[in-house]
Amino acid sequence: MNNKELENKIKQAFSHSVPNVLDAVIENRSNSKGKVIVMTQEKKKRTWIGYVSGIAAALVVLVVGIMGFNIYNNEYKVDSTVSLDVNPSIQIKVNQNERVLEVNPLNGDAEKVVEGMDFKGSDLDVAVNALIGSMLRNGYITELSNSILVTVNNDDMEKGIALQEKLAQEINALLQTDTFSGAVLSQTVVENTELKNLSDTYGITIGKAQLIQQIVNQNPLYTFEKLVPLSINELNLLSSSSNTTLENVDSIGSASDKNYIGVQKAQEAALSHAGISADDAVALHAEMDYEDGIMIYEVEFYYDVYEYDYEIDAKSGAVLKSEKDFDDDAVRPENGNNGTSTDIPSNNNTSADNGNSGNSTNTGSGTSSGSTGSGNSSVNASYISAEKAKQTALSHAGVSESDIREYDIEMDREDGIVVYEINFKSGNFEFDYEINAETGSIIKYEKEFDD
Amino acid sequence: MLFLCLTSTNEYGPVKDNDLLDELIIGVANNDKEAFNLLYEKTSVSVYSFALSILKNAHDAEDVLQDCFISIYDSASEYRSYGKPMAWIITIVKNLCLKKLRDRKKEPEPLSDNTDISFSDNGSVTAEDKILLTMCMNVLSDEERQIVVLHAVSGFRHKEIAQILSMQLSTVLSKYNRALKKLRKNMTKGEQDV
Repeated sequence: MNNKELENKIKQAFSHSVPNVLDAVIENRSNSKGKVIVMTQEKKKRTWIGYVSGIAAALVVLVVGIMGFNIYNNEYKVDSTVSLDVNPSIQIKVNQNERVLEVNPLNGDAEKVVEGMDFKGSDLDVAVNALIGSMLRNGYITELSNSILVTVNNDDMEKGIALQEKLAQEINALLQTDTFSGAVLSQTVVENTELKNLSDTYGITIGKAQLIQQIVNQNPLYTFEKLVPLSINELNLLSSSSNTTLENVDSIGSASDKNYIGVQKAQEAALSHAGISADDAVALHAEMDYEDGIMIYEVEFYYDVYEYDYEIDAKSGAVLKSEKDFDDDAVRPENGNNGTSTDIPSNNNTSADNGNSGNSTNTGSGTSSGSTGSGNSSVNASYISAEKAKQTALSHAGVSESDIREYDIEMDREDGIVVYEINFKSGNFEFDYEINAETGSIIKYEKEFDD
Repeated sequence: MLFLCLTSTNEYGPVKDNDLLDELIIGVANNDKEAFNLLYEKTSVSVYSFALSILKNAHDAEDVLQDCFISIYDSASEYRSYGKPMAWIITIVKNLCLKKLRDRKKEPEPLSDNTDISFSDNGSVTAEDKILLTMCMNVLSDEERQIVVLHAVSGFRHKEIAQILSMQLSTVLSKYNRALKKLRKNMTKGEQDV
């Protein structure tokens, strides 16, 4: 059976096993229809509320006249909500003329920032200026953690985006200090039930909820819950480190990683643990990640026939996890340095990918330098040679080399152990062996009647 | 191997009708029941299979299938990943599965044997399907199974799978090939036993 046929069978098997839950889903949703408000409905609802206030205002008009209504709308109605997230989260509500109606500190840190200030009636620019100043003074925005998220919420998307862009520029200018520059993320949101629920559940702003949701959408390994405790700087580092561009977020400047050891040091830590020089490592790559409550660098590279995976503590530089995997694929990114490793001890060389070449495994000391030079895989000196593995299997099977046919040897990794997988036929039997490549012991053998 | 990689990435496209799926999701956002039905029809196999490949339990996978479409129904209006509808849906599945796995840990009673999967609820599973499904659950590692399902069932390219599962492309390719090899080996063994 070829790959395609097998794939089709797998597809068929899975397709057949799918239960039908469509009716259950529809029933579930129609039962809780009151809760489900899709955006188009939401807008209608708002207009309806708008009508009521309109009618209410119209009654006022009878007494005060049209001017009164306009003054009401211009002066007291919330037009945009702006939120600033660093770790302190502050919400500012402004009217149509960008005059501040109220400033709400949303957490303990934010209370410190707004302490003693009254912005009511002042210009949004003035308020933002004062708040950023206070965050700098109180050490919330520093060289080590320089990111801020600006979120504008306005029913009129276009107006929201214009205000967002203006504020981002202003804040960026305010964060150009003598010692460091800031990093400003900005976005416009249209509030919806899901974001509202998330922000209520986790006690964060709608803005931060949307930012986290976008990062989660880009990287399925993250969950919303896991990212909630992170500061904006850490979120900014995560999204910029993995080179993901968040669709609805504009970014100016770059997040500070000065609190961490940096990509360079992380790579050095991994390489020195592996005992490999930077010049020998192929496709060296590091990116920041967040796992089990701490920031880490994930470092990956190839050397010889192995793929190395490291997790380095982003603050201490400690090696948290190291993995060395046999990489039996020749598919490698940019393997410029590959195949030049002639300094590997040669007497244990084997061509592990020898696949279908029958029993002509190139072993022995004479062939080694040639095979490494031509890009063949050379194997770590701590493994037994393919020839030795073959002899182990043959002597266990009690057959001589001249009696076997369709001999095949491959190196593989099973349950964390590097093994030689050996198949051959002899007489009416097919033999399968798995030999531990380090100890030479037989892990598994099968003898089957071959008809 | 390189040759194999090139042919396999070209041969199978991702779920082809991205534009259609985009339209359907927008339709769902506008309360279009027909769009929802069609979206379910087009994507439920991928959703369920991926969930099953992670959870190894038919009952839990069915829960995720249901929750996923409830979630799609509720959040279609926030859909912005135009051009990548399947990646969006698969992300939802993945998050629901992770939640399910977390919930499992909290459950006091020990888990029933994961590998004992009952397909009896569904009449269309043949004896051959059953053998292959059980083999996928028992013979393949978690990662191998997820890769096989994303490629063979949902039609994702290896490159896309590398992104979805945050793996190197070379790792995905080698795991995929090893997985098919394992399955094939077990199938011939099964035939010989019979």
